[in-house]
Amino acid sequence: MFTALYFGVVGAVLALLMRVQLSVPNNDFLEAAYYNQAVTMHGLIMIFWFLSPLGVALFNYLVPLQIGAKDLAFPRLNALTYWLFLAGGLMAVLSFFVPGGAAAAGWTSYEPLAGPVYSPGPGPTMTYLGLMLMAASVTVGSVNFIATILWLRRPGMRLSDMPMFSWFALFTVVAMLFAFPSIIAAFLLVLTDRLIGTVLYAPPSILNVPGIDPSLLWDDLFWFFGHPEVYIVLLPAFGVIADITPAFTGRPLDGRNWILISVAAIVLPISFGVWMHHMFLTGIPNVLLEVFDVSTEIVSIPFGIIVIMFILSMVHGRIQFKTPLLFIVGALVLFIIGGIMGVFLSSPVLDRVYNGSYFVVSHFHYVMVGATIFGLFAGIYYWLPKMTGRMYNESLGKVHFIISFIGFNVLYAPMMLLSDMPRRIFTYQNIGDWAQLNGIATVGAFIFAGAQIIVAYNLLHTWFRGPPSGPNPWGSQSPEWSTPATGSVPVAPVETEPAGGWIGQLPGPQSASVSGPSPVSHAMSAVSHEVHLSSRPLTLSAGVMLFLTGAALYPGGAIQLSVLTIPPGVFPLALMVLGVGVFAASIVGWAWDDIRNKFVGPAGDPGGDRWPYDEVPKMKLGMWVFLSSEIVLFGTLLGAYIFIREAALEWPSPASVHDIPLATANTLILLTSGFTMAMAVYAIRKGDQRGLLGWLVATFVLGSTFIGVKISEWLGLFSGAAPFLPSSSNPVTALAASIYYVVVGLHGAHVVAGLVVLVYLMKKTARGGFTKDDHMSIENFALYWAFVEIVWCFVFPLFYLL
Amino acid sequence: MKTSTIAGVWAYMVVAVLTETATFYYVTNVTAQTVVISLLALSQATAVAIFYMQLKDEPGSIRIFALVGVMFLSALLIAMVASLG
Ligand code: HEM
Ligand SMILES: [Cu+2]
Repeated sequence: MFTALYFGVVGAVLALLMRVQLSVPNNDFLEAAYYNQAVTMHGLIMIFWFLSPLGVALFNYLVPLQIGAKDLAFPRLNALTYWLFLAGGLMAVLSFFVPGGAAAAGWTSYEPLAGPVYSPGPGPTMTYLGLMLMAASVTVGSVNFIATILWLRRPGMRLSDMPMFSWFALFTVVAMLFAFPSIIAAFLLVLTDRLIGTVLYAPPSILNVPGIDPSLLWDDLFWFFGHPEVYIVLLPAFGVIADITPAFTGRPLDGRNWILISVAAIVLPISFGVWMHHMFLTGIPNVLLEVFDVSTEIVSIPFGIIVIMFILSMVHGRIQFKTPLLFIVGALVLFIIGGIMGVFLSSPVLDRVYNGSYFVVSHFHYVMVGATIFGLFAGIYYWLPKMTGRMYNESLGKVHFIISFIGFNVLYAPMMLLSDMPRRIFTYQNIGDWAQLNGIATVGAFIFAGAQIIVAYNLLHTWFRGPPSGPNPWGSQSPEWSTPATGSVPVAPVETEPAGGWIGQLPGPQSASVSGPSPVSHAMSAVSHEVHLSSRPLTLSAGVMLFLTGAALYPGGAIQLSVLTIPPGVFPLALMVLGVGVFAASIVGWAWDDIRNKFVGPAGDPGGDRWPYDEVPKMKLGMWVFLSSEIVLFGTLLGAYIFIREAALEWPSPASVHDIPLATANTLILLTSGFTMAMAVYAIRKGDQRGLLGWLVATFVLGSTFIGVKISEWLGLFSGAAPFLPSSSNPVTALAASIYYVVVGLHGAHVVAGLVVLVYLMKKTARGGFTKDDHMSIENFALYWAFVEIVWCFVFPLFYLL
Repeated sequence: MKTSTIAGVWAYMVVAVLTETATFYYVTNVTAQTVVISLLALSQATAVAIFYMQLKDEPGSIRIFALVGVMFLSALLIAMVASLG
């Protein structure tokens, strides 16, 4: 049973490993246009579909094991995370093959370069839509991991007892939760520009609104995400280091609490407070230059503490130089080098010289490829016996390390010296020592890539032929080793009684006091109910992907099929219709499964250590985590609007565009639906099912009326004497209309989504599906609905009154 | 939560929106208008969060999600507007 469950997860890890092989960059023999696509897609794929996911795949496998959970908190959402991620990746890769090719504006997608004027064609649209799917997947995934870690720890596992890797996982997903909304917002604006003709990032040559600089808006939105993202990439690797170093030094980690405090400081305040160091040359005011110079240098303090603690742990212990430890040492050395370069870059003065040069490229490859990949390799070698039950070949591992380390430095050290060569050029004149240095770097790249063949062989060989490793080859104290390995080698089950196995191995005062059935046997008995082979997440993702691909390709050229010519637009349209159909069917199916209670968890509450969430139901926790990310999403969009308004020197007065009394009335309708929804909760808390149904219907009617009024309002705006449209010939009107439709439209979409859920809730209520003690969905929906109401409390005054 | 609280919050929301619109029509000083309307909007959002989203009954461990979200958001907004110079 265990094996079957884990194979799903391991399969995901493997699929991700294959992505690794697929995403090797092509860096040579390319024309300029292809070179730009290659650079761009290399950056995007490596960061979003390889590095980060590899870390997350490890989370997926290890966090439940380490905290003693059977699975993640929301298994079907986990499947959704995976399929959305895959669909996004497919779209990004497929975009190479559509006419005009993939995105080519750099991974940073600077606007307006990445907009429809300078990067026309369906390819970039597809790439960016793929990114959106990936970002959606990340948001769903972070909610799931946070709920899992906070809520599904086994009894006796206090937060403070969690293994280091799980701690780092928690920090990483928290950073994801708050960083990704801003990139979703940023790309939403890009995509509406590309798909429905808004002009939010239009260059001044096309749309001249006095005071507006679209590139600055992009920089703010992108880097507010972008800098936290680099830590998101890095932290899983540091988690591996923190977790497994003790196995090779024979003693516990030094300064565990110092490390945790430092990561907390990095993740929460600091990483979100340094993004403008990517914008030193954009003409932001001098005060900001100083603030962000200092804040960036402050980052080195917690990182310094972490690195020093790692080093002390090794110095104090008796080191065994096994492959994982070698990779750890490598990661640390490379991180230190890269970090020092980062400190240079954090000075606005020096950055003036280095910005946009190969020095920057060298910097981030040292920290991202060096520290991150080496750290993750350490983890993969270390946990391979856990995943497969077999031991890898130690000498091959060492050879892999040595060649990689040499290859890496031969590749990136010359780039450090190339601080006078601009990045992202596809060819260059023979100036100074550029040719030699570039030549050396290319040789390094081949050495580095060659080394990866060794690890591929080693992994596969281990998987099928490796010698059995035994259940705990490293003699580790960490809880994940106390369950049987998941691979194909039959291993004797480990002792799982409280006296011997899992619990007994854990240090700490409370472990002795735990009694009752061992969590392992408990898990075993529960697992049989919990086989989540729902196909809904897969079809749902596929539906979204089809629809979006169709949208990106629309209208496209005519397609010639022997005698038959399909006129432009038909094929994409068909894709869109098919996509909507599949999507709708999945949603309905999903709801139907729930109404019929097809997926029931194990009866009763398994219990566990949940401080500080003992009193909070799992679903509510998940909902709040999700809402906190929604706060940032809507806030960012409203922020973009405020930003544009502050910058613009002229703006149409609201009364000249909108019907204020009508909007006020519609606002009252929405606010009243908030009241009826609160009453619905009140009713069911008393156990009044008929009351619940009545209030839900009232909410539905009010919500639909709100949308109906909105639609008629928009139709009026489209067709009035002076239409309020992004295509307006007056640039100020065009910009105002663009941001208005995007923000108000997104709010409307949330209302519509709410109405769909209401249909489900009404149906379930009518079948008597909710009772006084069992109506979590109602409570959660009320939270969502209230949130949508709050958003409108800002949208209304900002767009209609001020 | 009592029905009177639920209805009270709703009544406040209605009054606040009507005041906003009235401010729009009758207060001509732009700064005063902006300040009044923004404060009303903030108070509405707070009321919904505290009562309809029941933050008043939730433990701090739930409130923190709302707080952290708002905190990140404020940081972003302040710096964004500042970067306009
Ligand atoms: C030790 C602390 C660090 C400092 C002080 C630092 C500082 C900087 C600065 C100032 C820049 C801007 C350079 C420019 O565009 O002119 C930069 C770029 C960059 N850094 Fe770091 N960094 C640090 C650590 C990291 C880490 C850990 C990562 C990733 C794991 C990372 C990834 C990047 C990336 C990807 C860029 C380039 C973005 C682009 O494409 O323009 N940095 N860093
Ligand atoms: Cu940065």
